[in-house]
Amino acid sequence: MSTALNALPLPQAHPGAARVGIGGPVGSGKTRLLEQLIPRFIARGIELAIITNDLATREDAERVQRSGLIDPQRVIPVETGACPHTAIREDPTLNLQMADALEARFKNLDLILIESGGDNLASTFSLDLVDYWIFVIDVAGGDDIPRKRGPGVLSCDLLVVNKYDLAPYVGVDLPRMRRESAQARDGRPVLFTNCATGDGVDAVVDAISRAVLFDQP
Amino acid sequence: MLILDRILGQASDPALADRLHDLSHAGQVEILSLSGSDIQRHRLRLASDRGTDCAIRLERHQQLRNGSVLMLDAQRAIVVQMQDQQFLSLQPRDTAAALELGYFAGNMHWTVRFAGDTLQIPLNGPETDYLERLAPMLADGRVQRA
Repeated sequence: MSTALNALPLPQAHPGAARVGIGGPVGSGKTRLLEQLIPRFIARGIELAIITNDLATREDAERVQRSGLIDPQRVIPVETGACPHTAIREDPTLNLQMADALEARFKNLDLILIESGGDNLASTFSLDLVDYWIFVIDVAGGDDIPRKRGPGVLSCDLLVVNKYDLAPYVGVDLPRMRRESAQARDGRPVLFTNCATGDGVDAVVDAISRAVLFDQP
Repeated sequence: MLILDRILGQASDPALADRLHDLSHAGQVEILSLSGSDIQRHRLRLASDRGTDCAIRLERHQQLRNGSVLMLDAQRAIVVQMQDQQFLSLQPRDTAAALELGYFAGNMHWTVRFAGDTLQIPLNGPETDYLERLAPMLADGRVQRA
């Protein structure tokens, strides 16, 4: 690994925080994924902060703040008050302001995870807001979700299919869901997780690290 | 992995153009080919046309453009090239169809631009994904491809 020899003399003192979005339908396990990601990134020495979007409450932020996994001051809620996807796509101003405020307050942040307020299969993140984004669906939501080819499933950087352990209880053909997820994604990454136990989450951490953290641990 | 953390200028800048010209003659200019979507990113990892594993990491106020020079030294340069943006051009049959098409495109959150009596959608993914959504309007002639 080397750093480019550029014409300007001084390298950045700190490169700032990578911003990663986590979206997906209500109940798919976005907050649970957050709770699994937090200790893993902290264990790797990553300086982390969280933004959670909720429709009309601070439920998700308070849950993460109470979790004991992270300094509660590093968790900020955004109340979207309306269509949750608007705040991560059409007008991400609120989230941009919150991310800037976190970086101003915690000078050495490496990573800000931005959880969406939960939406349908059409939600996507603005690339003005995030550098990389994950879309979380779950097996219990039905094995037809990848076949429905929603914009979230098709255009995210990483598709996470959560709760794969529930497949036998909800009549889902897991091998078929794996196959159809891969087909819908046309070679782009898909990972299967069980965020209740943390199974599969290390691969999500590795994917984020490789994509946007680069030389950070 | 080669970390590229600043934009040195544009390939068209006179101060850079001569050096790039000389390096290109020596075959030492590498291209990072980005889609219209990816060029909006501030962090991105991808391989150059020569296979160099590049990690772009820009400050928030910086923005990639076609021709952004991310590395330049005596041995080589790395320059961003934006892929041609493809558009799906659609022509509504009449005013009612135009209203419906405009509503539908908005409901799909598609970016659009207008060119005379056609509506043009920049494609961020396979064209077939867009045509699938538009199938009913295309099938009965309310809308046709221009």
